[in-house]
Amino acid sequence: MSRKFDPNIVAFTCNWCSYGGADLAGISRIQYPTSAKVIRLMCSGRVDPLMVIEAFKNGADGVMISGCHIGDCHYSTGNYRTLVRYEALESAMEVMGLHPDRLKLLWASASEGQRWADGITEMTETVKKLGPSPLAKELGGGKK
Amino acid sequence: MTEKNMDDARIGVWVCHCGLNIAGTVDVVAVREHASTLKDVVYTGDLMFTCSSDGLKAIRDTIDEHGINRVIVASCTPRTHEPVFRRTIEEVGLNRFLFEMVNIREHVSWCHMDQKDRATDKAKWLVEMAVARARELEPLDMETVTVVPRVAVVGGGVAGISAALDLGNAGYPASLIERRPTIGGQMALLDKVFPQNDCAICILGPIMASVEQHSQIDLLTYSELEEVEGHVGDFQLKVRKKSGYISPDKCNGCGECAPVCPTRIVDEYEYGMGERKAVYRPFPQAVPNVFTIDKRGTSACRIACPASVNGQAFVTLIQDENFEKALEIFRESNPFPGTLGRVCTSPCEEKCERATVDDPVSIRNLHRFLADRERESGAPTVSKISPSKKKEVAIVGAGPAGIACAYDLVKLGYPVTVFEARKENGGLLRYGIPEYRLPRDILRGEIGQVEALGVEFRTGTPVESVSDLKKEGFKAIFLATGASNSSKLRVEGENAKGVLHALGFLDRFNSGKKVELGQKVVVIGGGNAAIDSARVARRMGAKVTIVYRRSREEMPAIRSEVEEAEHEGIKIEFLSNPVEILKSEGRVSGIKCIKMRLGAPDASGRRRPIPIPDSEYTTKVDNVIVAIGQTVDPKGVVAGLELTQWGTIAVDPITFQTSKKGVFAGGDVTTGPSTVVEAIGAGKEAAVSIDRFLAEEDLSLGRGVAPTPVPDDEIYRQGHDPAPRTAMPVLTVARRKGSFEEVELGFDETRAIAEATRCMSCAACCECGLCVDACKLDAIDHERTDEIVDLNVGTVIVATGSESYEPVDTREYGYGILPNVITNAQFERLTNAAGPTAGKIKRPSDGENPSSIAFLQCVGSRDARFDRDYCCYFGCENSLKQATQIKEKYPHTEVAIYAMDVRTHGLGYEELYGRAREMGVVIIKGRASELEQDAQTRDIKVYAEDLYTGENLALTYDMVVLATALHPQPDNPEMARKLKMTTDQYGYFLCAHPKLRPVESFQDGVFVAGACLGPMDIAKAVAMGEAAAAKAQALMAPGKFSIEPIYAEIDTDNCIKCELCADVCPYGAPRLEDGTMVISKEQCQGCGTCAAACPQSAIDMKHFRTRQIMPMVEAASRNSALKLGT
Repeated sequence: MSRKFDPNIVAFTCNWCSYGGADLAGISRIQYPTSAKVIRLMCSGRVDPLMVIEAFKNGADGVMISGCHIGDCHYSTGNYRTLVRYEALESAMEVMGLHPDRLKLLWASASEGQRWADGITEMTETVKKLGPSPLAKELGGGKK
Repeated sequence: MTEKNMDDARIGVWVCHCGLNIAGTVDVVAVREHASTLKDVVYTGDLMFTCSSDGLKAIRDTIDEHGINRVIVASCTPRTHEPVFRRTIEEVGLNRFLFEMVNIREHVSWCHMDQKDRATDKAKWLVEMAVARARELEPLDMETVTVVPRVAVVGGGVAGISAALDLGNAGYPASLIERRPTIGGQMALLDKVFPQNDCAICILGPIMASVEQHSQIDLLTYSELEEVEGHVGDFQLKVRKKSGYISPDKCNGCGECAPVCPTRIVDEYEYGMGERKAVYRPFPQAVPNVFTIDKRGTSACRIACPASVNGQAFVTLIQDENFEKALEIFRESNPFPGTLGRVCTSPCEEKCERATVDDPVSIRNLHRFLADRERESGAPTVSKISPSKKKEVAIVGAGPAGIACAYDLVKLGYPVTVFEARKENGGLLRYGIPEYRLPRDILRGEIGQVEALGVEFRTGTPVESVSDLKKEGFKAIFLATGASNSSKLRVEGENAKGVLHALGFLDRFNSGKKVELGQKVVVIGGGNAAIDSARVARRMGAKVTIVYRRSREEMPAIRSEVEEAEHEGIKIEFLSNPVEILKSEGRVSGIKCIKMRLGAPDASGRRRPIPIPDSEYTTKVDNVIVAIGQTVDPKGVVAGLELTQWGTIAVDPITFQTSKKGVFAGGDVTTGPSTVVEAIGAGKEAAVSIDRFLAEEDLSLGRGVAPTPVPDDEIYRQGHDPAPRTAMPVLTVARRKGSFEEVELGFDETRAIAEATRCMSCAACCECGLCVDACKLDAIDHERTDEIVDLNVGTVIVATGSESYEPVDTREYGYGILPNVITNAQFERLTNAAGPTAGKIKRPSDGENPSSIAFLQCVGSRDARFDRDYCCYFGCENSLKQATQIKEKYPHTEVAIYAMDVRTHGLGYEELYGRAREMGVVIIKGRASELEQDAQTRDIKVYAEDLYTGENLALTYDMVVLATALHPQPDNPEMARKLKMTTDQYGYFLCAHPKLRPVESFQDGVFVAGACLGPMDIAKAVAMGEAAAAKAQALMAPGKFSIEPIYAEIDTDNCIKCELCADVCPYGAPRLEDGTMVISKEQCQGCGTCAAACPQSAIDMKHFRTRQIMPMVEAASRNSALKLGT
């Protein structure tokens, strides 16, 4: 590799809270690492565990699932399901041969740009310490 | 519309420079070039401003030219610009859902400014992800919904009023929902409005009136929005119209009710500067012009009283010196104001909310005062009630339970006979309680009144069995024979001569029989019988020690009784328990006790005493009085009835019916030894049951429902300065020896009123009923219930305003402690002719007209300490306005404004500033650092640094006004949830865009206006209200509204009908119909939670299909080319 390790994080956001929070971080010019690639869905409840597994399978170094705070969900209870699925995925991480810290859940409202930026910064640091995903190595650096 | 060929994706990618917003960080050309290398991308371009008309034209032209059928724009956030680009491609016949947007501004250039290379890489990466998704996009048809041409406006302040009027004038029926009893909001409470210093209510009043008269406006005041369902164009609202307990149709606002109402509470419409009655109209110009009764639940004292005495009402009436009505209210419950006033354990006082400020109100002593006062002014005349009913009732036992039951039944018109085995009526009250606590004439007097009502008492008449009474023709029977057998200690030596049992001892003594006591007496127990026995023995000349196995806190006896016993020289040994009574020649010679310690709480909630091994000790005594409880005598009337394991009569807890139909029981005979007030409560409940039994009605229907307590946040504790409980005058200890004169002497009128005034009226209305008599229109109904109003509307406008900050918690600048430091909202009431001082500026400490006033700006605003780092928007102008008003009324008053900056940013505001300066108002640049009160004069010294001169100032003023912050309504998060809106970091509602969509929320069909969005002045709130009305009309006018077809779809072939989707759906959209799982499009909101839950992957979301998301996930997780740094 010509550069030092830059973690790659796939970040699922909902349309209403966390995507808005990410927008606000930008509007407020809050600076944070470039690691996260956002996939916008309508609700964090749309995040199928298979999507998370697919991301890791393809070599993502980390996955973040982000939605509205519990109780503030645009779809009233969608994010309760997110929480349940996150907990299930968390316990499945080791089976996949991955450190559980490579998966993170972040509740951020549309008014919490700083919280979004802090969440990405912290996760980037964590994943940096863990190094590249062992699955990414298996892919042999991957091929498009 | 010509559909393009969808078989092969032909993708066009445009990358936007956005001036330098993106291009300043991201190498836009490199991103475009990278895009051109991606599969299926047939065209790439980069544009300076893609959203400009030139940019949009370029896209339109190119689509046709290159046969593009998928469009990607990499620019800013889709939350604002997606609709613009979707419209553009639609104009050239491409379906709007064949568009994908990449956010390389908010998510890249603006947040990665110092990492240009990485930012460019990330932008390329995001474009790759979009291309992966774009290949899978499919055309979708928009759904249209029919729009109900009606509006609900939530919030009746000036913004909501403006919106409702415009909509009404445009012909759209509008429901205006306001939680207070009047519309007008904050503006209606102002005296003057800047900059021209117009009279606020004079200009608002006529507009408020026009709202009420408007044929298209349905005014729902004193109402709260409870539930919202449905979607844009078709919302179903449930609105709770709170009772108010006065019929708005009958009330004509005459105001006859308010003067008779005894309840005074802090007036929130005067910002705590004055009081109002519990029945009130917020201000004279209120719309609608009706009165409202403020009920906040049932006061804690009423809930706590087993006899349901309305404590709050009689205490409040004492404040008002309406002693007759107060006593009447007490007697609605039971006939023992004087008796209970002496012997009640006062559970009401234990729960009294005043205890959260200092000490509970002395409620018991207050009803004793009422009874004493009546006796002193001559015995009351009671007229006999002639029975209106035929069926006769027998009551066995003339103790408190029996008499209370007889009292209620005789008032209901039943012929009642009470059988009493003893010579005199009263039960334990007569034979158990010593005279120094309850003089006999008091008890006789009160029982005499019950007799005078028509109850027949047959004393000296024991009843042997229930069937005897039935034979005599009684149709219902109430047994209240008490628990007269003393419990045994069960220790060795208990049968020695000189061991007495409390009840027997007190009974003999109270019956005037001879009782011999030695010099040293030990009383065992901690209840009232123990204390009574000890104090009687002490009066007989003995040296008395009480032995109690737990500590003082657990002692069940009345606290003041315990204290008085100690004053009289009685010793109490806590944490000690007898193990043996020592004998000498068959007589008590001593007692052996063991020390105890307290363990974990037992079933009674008290901590269980545990003996300490080897801690026995002996004491020489002549007599032991055992006072550890009583049990029920199993003989007599009790025989034949089902009993509990404790030997008491088993009764239904609600109806008090025994195992025999028509036979009821209550008091100690069912509970074992308990309190007088519990017994009275049981008697009253039995009376209700007997009445229903004889009328052949259901005994338990609607009973046993707990009353609603007052919510803690509705109890107004401010303004109640700590005032100690009024002391009860007592007989001197010296005079008590050998005397059975009453120890507690009772309150006089002055003491009683002072004590009653400590009541905080926590439930607001005390339900004394005086207003009902005063209302000539018969409009008041204390039983009136809330009404739920259903509304069906196409749009909703939220204009719920904000609230003026009262720095009570933070005590900013001594607010709440220093009387002459007030808020600007309070000052507004001081200048208002309708305010508490009739418009005269008076300082609170002495009512004097202040000769110097300082305004301190930005209190709680622009202050990161409180997370309120925003400007209150109008504080400067408001202080300038108030300063000029002072100068107009009292030109010689010195007025200074301490401000960091003076911001005068509206039409005519700078002129106001100039006018204030010309009038001599001094502006000091600097925030006050500290205030100091002169203890004598209560003047306030303000310390501040003048930032222009660098001088430290310490100037003294008569009064200080704090220009405080504006805060969001505390229930905004709840409102946001109901309407699917979003709140900002302070709790204000977020609009869809602060510049371009200022009155829209993110929820289609829900608009926002006024200070619920953040601090603003009246002009801006009005403009926003009108803007929201215009937006709502624009949405409703076409009669139809297009919504995105983002719904769940189910593949029924693949479905295994596990119904997991139905479990997770917040809207109940998936359901089993005729053996097939279907998803109702009407219910589905498009979140996709069901799709993620389906174990068969049989559910998919339109526009967020798994096959559209997965390629994006793949592209996001492995972009090898970039990762390898190529």
